[in-house]
Amino acid sequence: MLAFSIRRLIYSVLVIFGVVTVVFFIMNLLPDPARMMQGQRADLATQQAIRHELGLDLPAWQRYVRFLGDVAHGDLGRSFTSNRPVLESIWERFGATATLAISSMIIASIVGVGIGVLSAIRSYSLFDNASMLVALVGISVPAFVMGLLAMLVFGSWLDWLPVSGYMWEGGELHLEYLVLPMLVLAFRPVSIIARVTRSSMLEVMSSDYVRTAKAKGAPWKSIVYKHALRNALNPVVTTVSAWLAGLLVGTYFIEYIFDWPGIGLQAVDAISRSDFPLIQGTVIFSALIFVVVNFIVDLIYARLDPRVKLG
Amino acid sequence: MQEETRDSMMIGNEPAAVEEVREELLARASVPPRLTKEETDRRRAENELVLQATPHSLWYYSWRRLKRNRLAMAGLVITLILIIVAVFASELAPFDPDMQVLEYSTEPIGFHGNVLLTKSQVDLSQTIPIPIGEYRIQNNRVIYTTDDGRDKSIALSLLAGNRESDWHKTPIYYFGTDRYGRDVLSRLMYGARVSLTVAFFAELCSLVIGVLLGSIAGFYRGWVDDGIMWFTNVVWSIPSLLLIIAFSIALGLGMWQTIVAIGITEWVDMARIVRGQFFALRETEYVEATKALGLKNMRTIFRHILPNSLGPIIVIATAGFANAIIYEASLSFLGLGVQPPTSTWGQMIHDGYGFIAAGSNWGLTLFPALAIMLAVFAFNLFGDGLRDAFDPKLKR
Repeated sequence: MLAFSIRRLIYSVLVIFGVVTVVFFIMNLLPDPARMMQGQRADLATQQAIRHELGLDLPAWQRYVRFLGDVAHGDLGRSFTSNRPVLESIWERFGATATLAISSMIIASIVGVGIGVLSAIRSYSLFDNASMLVALVGISVPAFVMGLLAMLVFGSWLDWLPVSGYMWEGGELHLEYLVLPMLVLAFRPVSIIARVTRSSMLEVMSSDYVRTAKAKGAPWKSIVYKHALRNALNPVVTTVSAWLAGLLVGTYFIEYIFDWPGIGLQAVDAISRSDFPLIQGTVIFSALIFVVVNFIVDLIYARLDPRVKLG
Repeated sequence: MQEETRDSMMIGNEPAAVEEVREELLARASVPPRLTKEETDRRRAENELVLQATPHSLWYYSWRRLKRNRLAMAGLVITLILIIVAVFASELAPFDPDMQVLEYSTEPIGFHGNVLLTKSQVDLSQTIPIPIGEYRIQNNRVIYTTDDGRDKSIALSLLAGNRESDWHKTPIYYFGTDRYGRDVLSRLMYGARVSLTVAFFAELCSLVIGVLLGSIAGFYRGWVDDGIMWFTNVVWSIPSLLLIIAFSIALGLGMWQTIVAIGITEWVDMARIVRGQFFALRETEYVEATKALGLKNMRTIFRHILPNSLGPIIVIATAGFANAIIYEASLSFLGLGVQPPTSTWGQMIHDGYGFIAAGSNWGLTLFPALAIMLAVFAFNLFGDGLRDAFDPKLKR
């Protein structure tokens, strides 16, 4: 187990190293930051001074080494617009994103697995066909479209829920602000988890050991929940963890549309203001979270299923 | 030997039964009653048919399964309709998608326009519409009331065409108009063009990258595989949307930049599937046979292994195409995709969604939203059907 953990850890660090390199490469393609900071009217001397200060006059490999060193020390630079350390701004906003993502994933896991199991044990029934069709709609609708439609229906037409804003308003908790973005965010993962659970359950239900369980006369409930579901959950756990990692870093549109002050909204703002250090920092931070979550899931996985370690 | 002895003994012991036994044996040994000539011919013809029929390919059976899947066929039909709309947008659209009639800003669904068409002074082949209330013809001039109720007149010679039906039009805006008085339906049709073009070429791009990297990794294995899989994991770890945004900012905004940005980000799934296929197929006898024949690696990869992985590749490519539509719409929603005045669905939603909070003109958001949903849904339906059709675990 220890050897496995160390192997995975080294690999994760290598992946992060790759991410930082890719980000450095892309940022090199971007327009000159010295001009972006000063606008079109900046005189050459000021531009030169800024370039020198940021180390942009150095050759590419020296900048690369410097960049690697900075990132390793947790220094992601300063925002062009607010001049605050990037990591600080991101960390401050991360709580809002995490709240949204985790609450969404809890709902998505429960509902998704539930629908998937019901669909599988009643395969090709009306319930199965209907829910799989809805699930296909779920994976076909882009997040921002879903968000806008939800706003239109529940906010404008039915007027049930507030359409934008954060749940902490003046030190008080307003949970109704969480409902709409959370449900919209959950729709796609619910669909995918339901589909994965269903196909995995169908495969397991036709396996030899489930047939044996049926043959020995085990009660139906215990066949479904003890024999089948436990073995069918493997791909589901992978999907859930990938989505949790994905949501923790990728709720841009939902945050943007519902005005939810997380790292996604910040990133969209940064993009519209060409605040490259903030975008760059968000990319690296996101990848880091993604890799860390996957690393932890890998370890849990190896613990639960010894076959993983061999692979 | 023993049988014979027993038989002869039996016959010897009971001579009266001999005849009976012999008859019984003969009856058992005799061939079944002769077939009539017709029956023989019929059976022979039937067998001949079976012998002549060539065995069908995987494609034949897949297509047959797909045809029986009603949802998948519905998806295919919708997709084909969308492609036709995209290709013939300039013929099918009732209006020029960029034509602004500012007086007709944000008109409701099914609005009837009432315009006089005048010749453009700059470009004679163009016409400029003037929205009017009423009009009458008087001495070679047309006297009309403007939108704000004033009377104006214009010389007949300045109007487009000779007959009254040429220069006076009452066009119907089926889906209403946007903020600049442009026809929403026409813009949707042209938007299909952008959406499908970007998605197609982006998917083509990631198909090539994914298949190439996946097959090299799967065929050579070892450190080549390790290197490629490391790179795949790096790209996988960066949120796709952020990576696409970063690439499109770096490349500059526009059509081909969007295509490249999506294409060089979305190949990860394809690379993984192709690699997995190669791992499985490398062990098969026919690939071993190519080695025994001394074929070049490239020939083995492209002529023997890849054609046999086409099923999964097509399935992943359809899913990728649907995702590319979503990414294109998302990018243009943020204003980072194909730039105005070219109409795109994402940008139409962005222009329209400000009205939602005000509770008016929901059509400006709803129609492009439905267009995106319909396109992606139809393609996913088809893709799901393909996956089932190619799945060897399902019976013919």
